[in-house]
Amino acid sequence: MTQEYWKWPESSWTYRDIDWKKTKTITAGVDVGTNSTQAAILCDNRLFSYSSLRTGPDFRATAQTALMQALGKSGLKIKDIKYIVGTGWGNRNVTCAEKTVDEINCHARGARFMYGPAVKTVVDLGAQTCKAIRLYGWDRIRDFAMNDKCAAGMGRNIEVMADLLQVPIEEMGERSLAVEKDPEPVSTTCYAFANTEAMGLFREGYTESQVLAAYLFAIAWRIYGMVGRVQPEKEIAFTGGLAKNPGIVKRLEKAMGMTALTCEYDPMLAGAIGAAVIARESLIGQ
Amino acid sequence: MITAGIDVGIESLKIVILKDGKVIARGTGLSGGAKRAEAAEKVWKEALAAAKLKPADVNKVVDTGQGKQDIAFAQDRVTEPVTDARAARFLYPKATCVVDIGADQVRVVNLGEGDKILEVVMNQKCAAGLGIFLKSIARTLGMTLEEMSQLSGNGNNAVSINEMCAPFAEMDALDLLNRNTPREDIARAVTEAVAVRVNSVLNDKIKPAKDATVLIGGVSRNKAVVNSLKKRSGINFLIPEYAEYAGALGAALIATG
Repeated sequence: MTQEYWKWPESSWTYRDIDWKKTKTITAGVDVGTNSTQAAILCDNRLFSYSSLRTGPDFRATAQTALMQALGKSGLKIKDIKYIVGTGWGNRNVTCAEKTVDEINCHARGARFMYGPAVKTVVDLGAQTCKAIRLYGWDRIRDFAMNDKCAAGMGRNIEVMADLLQVPIEEMGERSLAVEKDPEPVSTTCYAFANTEAMGLFREGYTESQVLAAYLFAIAWRIYGMVGRVQPEKEIAFTGGLAKNPGIVKRLEKAMGMTALTCEYDPMLAGAIGAAVIARESLIGQ
Repeated sequence: MITAGIDVGIESLKIVILKDGKVIARGTGLSGGAKRAEAAEKVWKEALAAAKLKPADVNKVVDTGQGKQDIAFAQDRVTEPVTDARAARFLYPKATCVVDIGADQVRVVNLGEGDKILEVVMNQKCAAGLGIFLKSIARTLGMTLEEMSQLSGNGNNAVSINEMCAPFAEMDALDLLNRNTPREDIARAVTEAVAVRVNSVLNDKIKPAKDATVLIGGVSRNKAVVNSLKKRSGINFLIPEYAEYAGALGAALIATG
């Protein structure tokens, strides 16, 4: 078996200091993305547990598995969860959900929960889409922009690129930052051309770091152009899988002249946490 | 006389060692990334070991493929249509056309008398929809390439996906998964999309002969794609046993002089 460069680790976590039996409201959010699925469980207003895994070909089963993994060995059962919100591209496949909410609202709320109330702009760097969201007030959305046409350079494509360039996906960002100065960005970030482009660059004498830099720079520029449409304001937070790629984040920050907030949570969880927050409000509002 | 051919593809590299007109060893490995030359060196050593040879025993090494410039130990370089033609002629002396479907290229080579090449047609616009795409989408469907080909045979021709652009096609496939479309139907749609793509190149300029066209390259191992392509084009392809090594075989043959 050859090494699978595209694979990223799945995870799950439970906060042992919370006794769920003593909480009033238990809610959950399940975010079924095209590439990854997360489930988050809130006990009152605190994160109790989460899981993050790869979306399989059966979206329903994946949503179910994510929730079961988040429940883990805590003893908590699905019937104890009072309200579940499904979100993400595959939200219709969260069969146990009371309702579904769009990703934009969920990411906005999730980012507020994770990065605090200072967040004014949220950029979700997902597998197929990149969404820039401008917020005002506590739960309002002022403006929103998304990548049009094509998913080139987004998360899924980066997985394919990791395979083609034989660089483990988690190391791509760091390795790209080893360059002294960013080279010219590549002309296309589409994976259909990735290897041909890379081959040309290697032949010109580029190192692996320079090739990666040329790619991630191009991707960051594409995202930057899109984020500009919502006129981003401080503070800014990046969510989604690519927020874990410092090669993209650092270049995006430089282009925007802003430093993104950091937090203790996995940025991939924003959608699921946001869904759980909305679930809690729906429950209280009933 | 011992010669070797190395086909440095965009996705994988293939080596064939030839002794007096017979293949005595084959080798393959991934060719992407920064270490293409090292990867080639490794496969080369393995192939030599399999043939029980030392590098000095090989009279001549010729390389081909999109990464051919990167191989230091090759004495000569030939362009891909020439190796395709040479291999096709060797395997099927009466062949008049050869179709090579690789990771990101489909190439149709019309053969003339002897070693002549009359015409070459390749995919234009975009590299999408071929081997790299098949590999990526098989992962989305949670299948191996073989499973995808097999399951596609059970699938209904009920849905379709974009045949022009790989990222768009994946989006279509994900959308179908989201609607709980049976995976075999999606596999079928993927198969048809690739066949449509290749067939458009076949119809472009050259009209390949019905019974004298050779099919080579990695994608020729995908039975479902080949069957659909046969139906669409009406061509009864001749497919050699080691179809993905044909380019390397052609290079090894050219090395013999």
